[in-house]
Amino acid sequence: MAGDTINIYKPLRATLEEVIEESPLIKTFVLIPDEEFVFKTGQFIELAVDGVGEAPFTPSSSPLVTDRLEVTVMKTGYVTGIMHELKPGAVMGIRGPYGRGYPVSEFKGKEVLILGGGCGLAPIRSLLFALEHMKDDLEKVILCYGSKTPADCIYKPLFSRLNSIDKFEAYRTVDVTDGDWDGPVGVATALLDQIKVKIENSVAVVCGPPIMMKFGTIRLLEMGYRDEQIYLSMEKNMSCGLGKCGHCMMGEFFVCKDGPVFTYREIKHNPEIWK
Amino acid sequence: MYYTGIKKEDWHRSLEELLTSHDIFVPVKDEFSLDYEPFRLSQAENIAYNTPKPATPLKNFFLPVRENVTSARDNGRPRIIIGAPNCDVEALGLLDEIYLDEAFTDPFYRNRRKSTILVSSDCFSVNDHCHCTSYGVKPFTMEGADLALLSEGDYIFLRVISDKGDELVRQLPAAAGIKDPERLLFGDQRHRETEALLAELNRGLPDYKATGEIIRRAGEHIWVKYSSKCVSCGACTTICPTCSCFLLIDKPDFEKVKQMDACQYPGFERVAGGEDALFELAHRFRNRYMCKYVWRPQKFNSLACTGCGRCIEACIGKINKNELFMELT
Repeated sequence: MAGDTINIYKPLRATLEEVIEESPLIKTFVLIPDEEFVFKTGQFIELAVDGVGEAPFTPSSSPLVTDRLEVTVMKTGYVTGIMHELKPGAVMGIRGPYGRGYPVSEFKGKEVLILGGGCGLAPIRSLLFALEHMKDDLEKVILCYGSKTPADCIYKPLFSRLNSIDKFEAYRTVDVTDGDWDGPVGVATALLDQIKVKIENSVAVVCGPPIMMKFGTIRLLEMGYRDEQIYLSMEKNMSCGLGKCGHCMMGEFFVCKDGPVFTYREIKHNPEIWK
Repeated sequence: MYYTGIKKEDWHRSLEELLTSHDIFVPVKDEFSLDYEPFRLSQAENIAYNTPKPATPLKNFFLPVRENVTSARDNGRPRIIIGAPNCDVEALGLLDEIYLDEAFTDPFYRNRRKSTILVSSDCFSVNDHCHCTSYGVKPFTMEGADLALLSEGDYIFLRVISDKGDELVRQLPAAAGIKDPERLLFGDQRHRETEALLAELNRGLPDYKATGEIIRRAGEHIWVKYSSKCVSCGACTTICPTCSCFLLIDKPDFEKVKQMDACQYPGFERVAGGEDALFELAHRFRNRYMCKYVWRPQKFNSLACTGCGRCIEACIGKINKNELFMELT
């Protein structure tokens, strides 16, 4: 039996082709896996620095591309700190893809509202690629994104490109301006006041820091979104990715396996979700 | 299911012969404790059959404390584990849910399960903190093991539960069917006695169907009170037959070492950004109860506590979870 030979703990090797500086603390790693790597948008991988450690990331590249993979990493802790020192040519380890991604086929015929903050734009970019590919089947895609400062915004060229795509609208805000910014100032949820969306025929996707996820969800509910129309990408300490090690438990769920994308309806009974 | 019987000395002689092809572990009692030891014919008289739980939970045979999970080093030698009490056998069912999950089967766990013949042992006595029946678990095994053992005088009776158990019995030349069913009546009698002892010992403990709601409703003050003597040593989770959380440690050449971990240790849920849902001791303490009595039942339809009582015995702060339940009932 083929299943007998699979070792779920063993990573696939991938060569680092390019490192793109997105912001002072954020870099995108372009990886060439040793084998074709297929994932669904919103699924995540465990990316390993040899002998150091691994951490969970949702690829920021298109799920339609299977011979290369882009992963956007914020320098946050020990492993990501060492990742940021890596140069092209380095060999990294990939496990996955893991978990349940965005159910994009269910978005057909709908308006998709995406609320993102900070590094949450990484998974969202992958989702946007997938939605662009199926745009004929969608009514509209609206992105509302906030970063702390204009300099912290990643993938800056993405916004003008999105606004040039038929049916796509992209809005940006910053928490604090650094002087070189003439756009809106305020949290990402404030952008929701200026958009036009047919809520009854819409789904909302929220991805960002926990505090934004919480207040974003509250705002969407106030706007009239129903619990099952809101998709949340939960962030926990996903360590094994296999629904076993227990580090990412959120109530009865293993976020790594049962998520990381949940509808608000699936998880709202659990007071632990915003912790 | 059927029963077979064998004289104790023949049973031990057969085990001695099986040692050429199997690793065999038996519960051995010494002055201080009762625990599994490799079988040796010369030590056969110290084997303690039908006593309550050995010190080591059965899970340790399947989930080593630390192992390299990228380089397979399992020798694949079949094992016979004798003397597991039913609380541990039931717990193995929960570990199966996680480690034999079809989407991601742990190959090391699966191989150990496959290569193990499990001979459970009915409990004819109880320890101070045994409370399996309070959680709907019988002190004897009818499923989940390959054989179940009942010792009576110089005789061993075997309840043959699985095909694997049947195969082992066929390798016991001296084993014979039970012609007179009355010879097995002592087993039923022992079961009744053990259950009566457990009922007496645990009078007042809430019904297991109510434990989830009790824990869910428990206020912050309960967790602060009971965790005040907790030092996050993790003894309760280490000794628990159902606790199975682990950490993956990266080694050079993309090797990975899997090491048992516990939600009682600080930093268990800490993420790189610094957020830690279990930063407070009382919240870690509560997490264990929520996991066992609320979340695992929601996910796997089964309590993650089989009432073995080891966590009560192991706690250096003398925290007794049953006292917590009594206070809340």
